Amino acid sequence: MNASLRLELSRGFVIAGAILYIPANILPVMTMTVAGDVEHLTVLGGVEELYDSGLWPIAGVVFLASILVPFLKLLSLAWILLLDGSEHYRPHRTKLHHMLHQIGTWSMIDIYLLAVLAAVGQLGVLASVQAEVGGFFFAAMLLCTIFATDLYKPEMIWNNEPTGPTS
Amino acid sequence: MEPSHSTLESRGSFMLCPVCKASIRTRLVSSREELHCGRCSHVLIKGHRTTTLQPAVALSITGLFLVILANAYPIMIFEVAGNSQENRIITGVLQLGDQGYWPIAILVFFSAICAPALYFSSIFYVSLACCLRKRFPLAKELADIVEVINAWNLVPVFAIACLAAVVKLKLLGTVHWRSGMLWIALLSLCSILLSQAFDKNLVEERLKNLR
Repeated sequence: MNASLRLELSRGFVIAGAILYIPANILPVMTMTVAGDVEHLTVLGGVEELYDSGLWPIAGVVFLASILVPFLKLLSLAWILLLDGSEHYRPHRTKLHHMLHQIGTWSMIDIYLLAVLAAVGQLGVLASVQAEVGGFFFAAMLLCTIFATDLYKPEMIWNNEPTGPTS
Repeated sequence: MEPSHSTLESRGSFMLCPVCKASIRTRLVSSREELHCGRCSHVLIKGHRTTTLQPAVALSITGLFLVILANAYPIMIFEVAGNSQENRIITGVLQLGDQGYWPIAILVFFSAICAPALYFSSIFYVSLACCLRKRFPLAKELADIVEVINAWNLVPVFAIACLAAVVKLKLLGTVHWRSGMLWIALLSLCSILLSQAFDKNLVEERLKNLR
């Protein structure tokens, strides 16, 4: 795979990720039915509930991993890709890219939370958990940020000419 | 510690940084020391963290058994008004699949079950080849796969997700821990220790010397 194809694919995944980020956070990730009460929970709603129950360290981890990290990741990737071929901030961009690569998959925590809750929530009206379409958008957004980071190589930051169109 | 062959060779010579193409004067690095590129801070030469791969063999076989235990035993039992439901790692995968969210189910299956199993078995295979000084087929390729799989070995993340899930479930009913949670916690610990014990540079050097 050559550099220009990598750049184009990476740009595409960042744009797709940014678009998917909106439904992933607006749409409910799961529906909880507890003793007949139906509750639709978004990612942020789940964090709020954890915070209200007094466990703010776990609420903090979930908030960081599933809301803040994907947002910052998309933002910094967009910055890195926009500056492709420029000479500014090259060492900063390289370090940032390395960091993005490291924290890559921690946002999976929300998907696992959904899986564990869906597994035990099979008690009918007493307590049941049904996955909702928001979880699908969330997983897709996550994969987009991971692919975008891996496709853009740090070597490309140091190319002297901007990466040209596919010839 | 004996300085390794490859670091001795590159003593006092110059090399190109593979990332930013800067010319860097190399020097001898001791164990646990790293030579960084002065311009982009890419790690150019890594000192060997260990001289032996025996801990890697021991930890990876332990990890393999723990993977089996973590998947075989239930993690928790959730109880509401006399009705109870227990779960294993696979229960969530099957349930998500049943509800029609099979792409998420596949993602969970791959990262919580396949990736740890692959990670531990490939490290076991590669480290055993180095320790026995025997040529195992595909050892070099598996050593490369370890790096990729390592990023997807998310057992510690799964353990924290279990904790968060229990916090939520406690509001609705009673939760009893089962031994599966212990195996998952130990498996997380084992993954973290193994990432310290497995030195990829050392493995590559040993494998090269075998050929």
